[in-house]
Amino acid sequence: MTWLQGGRGAAVLPAAALSLTALVNAHHLAWWCLPLLALAMGWHLRAVLRGSPQPGRLARIGFALFVTAGVALSFHTLNGLSAGATLLGAMTAAKLFEARSRRDWYVISGATVFLLLAACLDRQQLWRLPLYALSLWLIAASLRGLGRGTAIPAPILLRESARQLLYAVPLAIVCFLFFPRLPGAFWAIAGDDEAITGLSDEMSPGRIARLAESEEPALRARFNGALPPVRQRYWRGPVLHDFDGYTWRRHRGGMNGGGRSGPGSAPAPTPAPTPALDYAGPAYRYSETLEPNTHGTVVALELTAPPPDASISQSADYQLISRRPILQVRSYDLVAYPLATDREALSDEAREVDLALPRDRNPRSRALAEKLRAESVNEAVFVERVFAFLRDGGFEYTLTPQRLGRDATDELLFGTRQGFCGHYASAFVDLMRAGGVPARVVTGYQGGEWNPFGRYLVVRQKDAHAWAEVWLPGRGWIRTDPTAVIAPDRLSRESLQFGDSDGSSLLRSRPWLASTLRAWDALNAWWQDDVVNFNFARQLNLAERLGFGDRDWQTLATALGAGLCAWLAWIAWSVRRLAQSARPDALARAWRRVERRAATMGLARAPHEGVLAWCERVAQLRPAQAQTLQALARRYAELRYGPPAAPAELQRFLRAARAFRFVPA
Amino acid sequence: MFAGLRGRLSGRIERWARKRQGTDTLPMTLLGRRLYILPTRAGIAFGMLAFVMLVAGLNYSNSLALFLTFMVAGFMLVGMHECQRTLQGLELAQAQADDCHAGDDGLVQLRFVNAAPLPRRALAARTPGQGDSSFDVERLGDASVQVKYHGARRGRHRLERIELSTTAPFGLFRCWTWLYLPVEVLIYPRIAGTRALPAPGAGRHARQSSAAAPGEDEWAGLRSYQSGDSPRSIAWKAWARGAPLMVAQYAGSGGSDYLLSFRGLESLDLESRLSQLAAWISECGRLDAACGLALPGAEVPLGRGSMHRATLLRALARYGEAT
Repeated sequence: MTWLQGGRGAAVLPAAALSLTALVNAHHLAWWCLPLLALAMGWHLRAVLRGSPQPGRLARIGFALFVTAGVALSFHTLNGLSAGATLLGAMTAAKLFEARSRRDWYVISGATVFLLLAACLDRQQLWRLPLYALSLWLIAASLRGLGRGTAIPAPILLRESARQLLYAVPLAIVCFLFFPRLPGAFWAIAGDDEAITGLSDEMSPGRIARLAESEEPALRARFNGALPPVRQRYWRGPVLHDFDGYTWRRHRGGMNGGGRSGPGSAPAPTPAPTPALDYAGPAYRYSETLEPNTHGTVVALELTAPPPDASISQSADYQLISRRPILQVRSYDLVAYPLATDREALSDEAREVDLALPRDRNPRSRALAEKLRAESVNEAVFVERVFAFLRDGGFEYTLTPQRLGRDATDELLFGTRQGFCGHYASAFVDLMRAGGVPARVVTGYQGGEWNPFGRYLVVRQKDAHAWAEVWLPGRGWIRTDPTAVIAPDRLSRESLQFGDSDGSSLLRSRPWLASTLRAWDALNAWWQDDVVNFNFARQLNLAERLGFGDRDWQTLATALGAGLCAWLAWIAWSVRRLAQSARPDALARAWRRVERRAATMGLARAPHEGVLAWCERVAQLRPAQAQTLQALARRYAELRYGPPAAPAELQRFLRAARAFRFVPA
Repeated sequence: MFAGLRGRLSGRIERWARKRQGTDTLPMTLLGRRLYILPTRAGIAFGMLAFVMLVAGLNYSNSLALFLTFMVAGFMLVGMHECQRTLQGLELAQAQADDCHAGDDGLVQLRFVNAAPLPRRALAARTPGQGDSSFDVERLGDASVQVKYHGARRGRHRLERIELSTTAPFGLFRCWTWLYLPVEVLIYPRIAGTRALPAPGAGRHARQSSAAAPGEDEWAGLRSYQSGDSPRSIAWKAWARGAPLMVAQYAGSGGSDYLLSFRGLESLDLESRLSQLAAWISECGRLDAACGLALPGAEVPLGRGSMHRATLLRALARYGEAT
């Protein structure tokens, strides 16, 4: 006899919760997991309706081993979020095959909660939020249905659990804001197999066939005063010097202070000589919030002066290098001078590094560079001619270029003629060096999106960019951006706005659609920046702004404790309030007052006595008041049990009852 | 070893609660200070699940996962309060216990009144060592529930502790209270003893024709029905003819008169003697014979019917009581 056969319609809820939660995980489960769950649910239903036998112990163990092997085959590992979620889903299916008791359904509900957690860990887009909320609601309702006692209809379960969840929301918000987040992870996140735009230590444009655009923010900058012009919004990251014909890397030597390898490890604390920069021109003061990165460079607006912070040093190639790895969000107060110049002469050592090219690679490019250099009177004209070559050569900007082979520059310039910023920066620097001009690749971000709600500039991973710097005698290092001549709008945009892209005609003809989309985008930006990326640093900021004290753990603990106490008191009051006796209505209160007065005269109504019977008795003991009292009692009975009376009638009775007094016998 | 430890611990907790709460009076309303609450096994499992979720959320610094975790935790805490609320303010209006024989199970009838506009579900009541009796009380309603108790020893006893509990709303917490009700139960002696009924007619009401076997009594006429008379002795034929309910009487039913005493039971101890008497009384009931009691300090005249026999059993139950 299964527990479901007890006529519990509420058992539909756990199954519905499991189905929905599996569906919100659909994108990262193995393809066979959902059909398996559906099969298991069908089996369970059949078992309930027809009483088919439960699979034996051996079959269950075999099934568990089988699905484990399936997961291992599908993902090549049992570790990691997707593999774990698939394994959990498959094991839940196994549980469904044998689910009979209430306890089994508790286990299934627990697994459903975990599946929902897996979905939250994997995808956090705003549009998924209603699905997650619905899933949680169904889980809550199914847990209520699992309680003992008589069966409760599903609509009541849903209503009660909705109220229960609403009560929980304030606690969740308080904990969300003030429960201290951890600066780092206990264990490493299992490998992310998706390639996204962003910065790393090295760059191999030829290897990438498709660049996915990630909306993850890289940094936010809040300016005190004016924003720099759009064309000057270059955020400097790692500078790459070493080129093997295919991959650009940081310089291995100590010169740049970036001689390090391996993501996540701290840059070697090389005592780099601080370059003598001439900080002239307009200054932009800003506070920057930098998301964690793997390259250890404090990405900052060009050219930002080194802050007084001792943990940050400026390398010879103007990178701001953090001594500690940037594993959590950091905040810096910085000043940038976009027009700063370096008037010092290039050292022989640096010139050698930035002229080095592999000898046997890209012969056609080398020939082209030598030809153009020979036709130019000086370096500046050579740069102009290379720019002209790129502008007029029919090059195309795309995020989905063809892969390039060993002679990447040759294939790009004379073959595919398509690529993104990394391709052109690489090719440009290659040509410069071949022509005898010291050059280097700078990676970083370009642009940024103004967030009108937060009043800050947010730079996202999709804004990642690569450009070049050439050293010209007398002028020092000059920023040259080959992408600017190939795809000028790639740079001049503030951000890709609606109406600029493909569906522009549709949006132009329907302005309301465009504004709705913009609002949705702003909402998504808020969600991404202020909710999903809420972290320890911002917890501290918030606690400080609310006036709980200094920026430390104790402050957070104080805020959390205060919030928890307030919530508990509120819950204790509002949940228990319902348990108190219902307040009697005015009619009952008025009549009770009459009875209380009688009781003081020793005429209390016995528990077994009806109101009219009691009046009979009292009438005999108090003949003088018999008529008044009996009339009052009859009136009370009429109002209480008779057809609905006019409010005036009730008022008349209330007045009479209030005025009634027993006279001592 | 753990069972022993657990037993000692629960005994200590029970004594502490008893001392803390005192004896209850009826009607009584359940108030917060006497309600105890702990997570159930499923509740502990879900608590651990929430902890694992918290660790995962912190590890991945994942805001949504953390929010989900806090929602689950908050949801369970609200459920904890709801669980306690299920008992809080419930009124126990009446409690009445039926008598039973020692070694048997008796029933206590409890009537609960719910004066709050809130249904109270998944309630269960039990005495130690017995199974739960489940019930619900509707909003602004009342409900009666019968709870089994075990009649351990003969005599007049105070009712054992009653445990009233609930796992509403979702079985992750269990809230309970212990009721020490001012209700007395009367435990009759155990029905035991192998000796045959003593010869009938002994004592004051002895009749002469002791030789007549039962069933061969002479017809003596009809008398009007009195409550307590056996339905078997009613003259149904006369009633069917339109006469009032009459009871057939037989003269010389010497085998139907038993005045029971300790005579012949001197070799047994007191409880065994009383058990033997109880067995004889039930035998008399089966034979529909008149019986009475002639014990030192407890004399009951002859009579028939279940109510009369209950009087006899009550006298046995209270026999030897220090009054």
